[in-house]
Amino acid sequence: MTGPEEATEEATPDVTNAVTNAVTVVVADDHPMWRDAVARDLTDAGFDVVATADDGPSAVNRTLATRPDVLVLDLNLPGLRGGQVCAAIVRAQIPTRVLILSASAEQRDVLEAVKAGATGYLLKSAGREELLDAVRATAGGKAVFTPGLAGLVLGEFRRLSVEPLRMDGREVPELTGREAEVLKLVATGMSYKQIGAYLFISHRTVQNHVQNTLNKLQMHNRVELVRFAIARGLDAPT
Amino acid sequence: MATALWRGVDVLRPIAWLYAVYSAFVRQGDMARPWLAWVVLGVLGVWTVGMLLYRSHNTMVVGIELVVACAAILSTRLVDTNEVIVGGAKTLPGFWPAAAVVAWAVLKGWRAGMFAALAVGVADILEVGAANEATVSNIVILVLLGGCIGYCADLSRDGHAALAEAMRVRAEVRERDRLARTVHDGVLQTLSYIHRRGLDLGGECRELASMAADQERLLRALVSEVSVPHGDAAMGGDVDLRLLLGRFGDGAVNVIPPAEPVLMDRRVADELAAAVEAALDNVLRHAGAGAQAWVLIEDHGKDVTVTVRDNGIGLIEGRLADAAADGRMGVANSIRGRMSDLGGTAVIESRPGAGTRLELTVSKKGPSS
Repeated sequence: MTGPEEATEEATPDVTNAVTNAVTVVVADDHPMWRDAVARDLTDAGFDVVATADDGPSAVNRTLATRPDVLVLDLNLPGLRGGQVCAAIVRAQIPTRVLILSASAEQRDVLEAVKAGATGYLLKSAGREELLDAVRATAGGKAVFTPGLAGLVLGEFRRLSVEPLRMDGREVPELTGREAEVLKLVATGMSYKQIGAYLFISHRTVQNHVQNTLNKLQMHNRVELVRFAIARGLDAPT
Repeated sequence: MATALWRGVDVLRPIAWLYAVYSAFVRQGDMARPWLAWVVLGVLGVWTVGMLLYRSHNTMVVGIELVVACAAILSTRLVDTNEVIVGGAKTLPGFWPAAAVVAWAVLKGWRAGMFAALAVGVADILEVGAANEATVSNIVILVLLGGCIGYCADLSRDGHAALAEAMRVRAEVRERDRLARTVHDGVLQTLSYIHRRGLDLGGECRELASMAADQERLLRALVSEVSVPHGDAAMGGDVDLRLLLGRFGDGAVNVIPPAEPVLMDRRVADELAAAVEAALDNVLRHAGAGAQAWVLIEDHGKDVTVTVRDNGIGLIEGRLADAAADGRMGVANSIRGRMSDLGGTAVIESRPGAGTRLELTVSKKGPSS
């Protein structure tokens, strides 16, 4: 898996810091076994699990109350959908970043959550080390892009670009040629380093391109939400 | 087409009957035996309703109908006085017998249509006693009606048979192409493996090896025949490409779909999936142990692109082309063949260290658009 692999090296300093300044995490999952296992793995690895939650509303409340570095979020929580949880956290303007843990068959939900502000996505089938790497990367402000997420983001830009032109001339976000190329390489399983070597650019540049695509998508989503709210005569969500 | 003609007959019969009833009602005062008129019209009415309910059309039914029609015409002689008949009055059933003529034409063709029309015409002449001008022109019109509609029915029958035959031939050709590729993808590989292993083992196995080699050569010749270009898809209905390709996903193969369904022509999707499967088989065979493959689906609106990449050793550039040049049809031929039949493209790129990347692009609607 690309993102986490990359993160291993990048995030090593975080682990040494963990003794003095542990990364704080909230784990939200409605399956007790899974939730406890994730929490235990994180605690063993030196993370500070400050709270757990077993449904959507409590995931939002406990995250707002504890303001952790990372929320590890299962998409299938009762009460609120994953995207709604992400939106609530973004709206609260707290520094918490959201890492999605999901089973594979929920692509639409994953995309919705990522558009709403989640910065990482990991399959539930991922191994323990992958999970730890992903949490570190997310805490470090890096997008965790699996090939699956890259495919979803790429697909969303493709979908936006082939949608019929809108009457009111709203601009649709577009990928630069390079961004599309990079996303496509990520989506076919190449690591940032491999992509860098392949395109003769540094892997940090690759990381920036990936991050930009996510920012564009989330920005577009926020603009759309505001437009929607104004059109419906509601206050802009703040 | 025949169904449409029968529907016409079904509509014609009740209208003709209602008109006959109306005509009889208007002139019942002039009739010699009005009660007989109502009995005859009653019989025609029962038959008319019966034919709406009994939907089967066969020789017996149209035969009886013709007899009934002629009998109804002849009964006019008993219903009306001689002066009225000779004066040029309409026959009792009016143009109801035309339905019988059309039925004969639709069922048996133009000759039968004209025969039925003449039979009705003879009944007309017998009824009047001497053919007057109106009778003759009615008969001519009936004969033309029977002939023309019968001719139409014949044409539609022939056309339908020709169309069915053409579709059958096309389906056969397409099926042969599909089988040919399947044969290549599976059986040829096995045969060449038996050939090589047999030679290695020696002894009696050499005989098996040469038999396998013969069959391999024959099959290869069969598969290499230039395929007939496909016409439009005969089968309708779109499928979601994500579902078709999704079933390839396992520990070694990662399928990366977009969030929305990728709907496309079923036949194109099937062929595309078969090409992807061939490519994945190739990965397992050549990319080395522990190889992973990624299958990325991109929806461009009109077109769809599927990228298959593996993290294996990376096939040496041109190796696929070499294989084809050697006469050993590799995946290249199989996959390119599939894609060009679909009006699409296959781009293969291989770099040491970066695995092999295969990009298949095709129109969702296939070669016709």
